[in-house]
Amino acid sequence: MARRAEEEYDYLFKVVLIGDSGVGKSNLLSRFTRNEFLLESKSTIGVEFATRTLQVEGRTIKSQIWDTAGQERYRAITSAYYRGALGALLVYDVTKPTTFENVSRWLKELRDHADSNIVIMLIGNKTDLKHLRAVATEDAQSFAEKEGLSFIETSALEATNVEKAFQTILSEIYRIISKKSLSSEEPVTANIKEGKTLVVGAEEPAPKKACCSA
Amino acid sequence: MESKVVDENEEGPAVPMRVDRFGFMKQEHSPTEGLARSRSAFEYQRDERRIRKWRKMIGVGGSDWKQYIRRKPHVVKRRVRKGIPDCLRGLVWQLISGSRDLLLLNPGVYEQLVIYETSASELDIIRDISRTFPSHVFFQQRHGPGQRSLYNVLKAYSVFDRDVGYVQGMGFVAGLLLLYMSEEDAFWLLVALLKGAVHTPMEGMYLVGLPLVQQYLFQFDRLVKEHLPKLGEHFAQEMINPSMYASQWFITVFSYSFPFHLALRIWDVFLFEGVKVVFKVGLALLKYCHDDLVKLPFEKLIHALRNFPEDAMNPDILLPMAFSIKVSKHLEELKQEYDQQQLKSPESPVKQ
Repeated sequence: MARRAEEEYDYLFKVVLIGDSGVGKSNLLSRFTRNEFLLESKSTIGVEFATRTLQVEGRTIKSQIWDTAGQERYRAITSAYYRGALGALLVYDVTKPTTFENVSRWLKELRDHADSNIVIMLIGNKTDLKHLRAVATEDAQSFAEKEGLSFIETSALEATNVEKAFQTILSEIYRIISKKSLSSEEPVTANIKEGKTLVVGAEEPAPKKACCSA
Repeated sequence: MESKVVDENEEGPAVPMRVDRFGFMKQEHSPTEGLARSRSAFEYQRDERRIRKWRKMIGVGGSDWKQYIRRKPHVVKRRVRKGIPDCLRGLVWQLISGSRDLLLLNPGVYEQLVIYETSASELDIIRDISRTFPSHVFFQQRHGPGQRSLYNVLKAYSVFDRDVGYVQGMGFVAGLLLLYMSEEDAFWLLVALLKGAVHTPMEGMYLVGLPLVQQYLFQFDRLVKEHLPKLGEHFAQEMINPSMYASQWFITVFSYSFPFHLALRIWDVFLFEGVKVVFKVGLALLKYCHDDLVKLPFEKLIHALRNFPEDAMNPDILLPMAFSIKVSKHLEELKQEYDQQQLKSPESPVKQ
C-alpha cells in the first residue's frame, strides 16, 4: 500500500453497525470508508472491519467500525463486538417495515450486551428507492425521540447523508467523552483508552505516529 | 472484491461478459488468470493421465468406487489431495461424501420438499440469493436457472431440517455444489455434510448459538498458539482472535472469499478427510505469511488476515504445507477441554 504513514489522531472511537440482514450496513460502511457502493455485494458472514479518520469538532477522530452479519443466529458471534463500542449505528431499510419493527429487538440486544452509555443512532437506509418507501420518516423520527436516539435517513447508493450520519454520531461520542473527562477530572486519554482497550483490542496509544506501513 | 463499483445507476452489462474458467466474471487483473492460462503441454498431459486413472478408479458412473476405496484407501487419499479432475469432480464429491447413497435411498423426497412444503425461511433465503456468488455467471441472472436452483436447494434443506432452517453462509456451500451437480444431488450432499454421513455432522455450525463454530474457533485459537507461538503471542498482544477472521473459513469452508480454484482443492480434501483440513489450511496460511503478520499492528493485521497475497493462495504450495501440519489428535484433546469448559460456564463459549 502506497499510503502515507499511519495517521495521527486525537481519539479512537469504536462503532458497531447493526440491524437486520439486507438493510445495507456493509454498503454504508464502504460508502463511508472508501466512497464505494457495491451493487453486487455478498451477504456478510460474521464480522467485517474498516476504519476512517476524520475531523470532528476540530479534533482528529479515528473511527473503527465493526460491521456485523444481520441474521439473528449470528448474534452468538457478533454480540461480543458490542462490548466497549462507544457508538452503534442501528440500520433499517425504509422499504421494509419488518426491519423497522425489529429495531426494538436490536435495542434490547444493545442493552443486554453493550455498555450502558453507548451512543445509538437510528438510520433509515435506501431512501433512493422512493417509490418503494414503506416506513414514514415521521414514524421513525418519533420512535427515535421516544427512545432517545438520534435519527437520520440515508442512501448509501446515492451517498446521501452517509457522511453526515457518521459525523453526527462521532461528534456525539466526542461531546460525551469530553464532558465526562471534564467532570471526572480524569485525563481525557485515560477515558478513551479504557474504552478502546475494552473494545477493539489492539490499538496503539493515541495520538501516535506510526513507523511502517505495509 | 468481485463486485463492481458503481456510482451511477446503470443497466446490466451490455458488452459480452468475460469470465474465467470457473464462470466468475473476470477482474481487470484477475489473479487466477495467469494460473489458468499458462498450462504447459506437460501439465496438460499430466491432467489427461490423471483423468484416466480416476476414471478407472471410479468405474462407470461410480460402479467400482466402493470396492476400490475398500482395497486402497491410501491411494484414494493421495489422489484426492492432488486434486480431483474438474470433469469428474461432481461425481466424485457425491461418492466420497456418501450423498449418492442418500439420494438412492430417498427417491422423490427432494421433489416433495421443493414442491409441496413451505418454509419459514423463504424470505430470508430470497433476500440472500442475489448476494451469493454475485459475480458468477450462473448465479448472476435475476430469477435465472442458477438463482432458482440455489433457492430450491436452500428451501428444501430448511424444510428437511427445521432446526437448522436457513443460515447465511449455507448459500455459498450450496452454490459451490450447484456448480458441479444437479439440484437434487446438491441437496443430498448438503444433507450428507450437515447430518454427518461420513464425518462429524456440520449442523452444529448452523444451529442456534452456532455452537460448533464457537468450538472450532476455540480450537483454532489454541492451535495457532501451539503451532505458531510467536504469532499466537502477537495476536494476543494485538487482541486479535479467530472470530475476527476465521468464522467464514469454517462456516463456508473457504468458499466465501477465497480464489475458486483454491476453494475447490480444499473441498476435495474436506469431503474426503473432514473438517480437520480447514484447520490445517488455516494454519498453513498463517504459517506462510507468518513473518509478515508478526510485524503488523491490529488494523493492518485484520486487513492482512482477510486479504492473503496471491502467492499464499497457490494450492500446490499451500496444500502440501497444510498436509504437513498434524492436528487430529490435538483437535480431539482441545474438544474435550472445550466441553469441560462449557460445562463450567456455558454462557461464555468463546473468549473475545
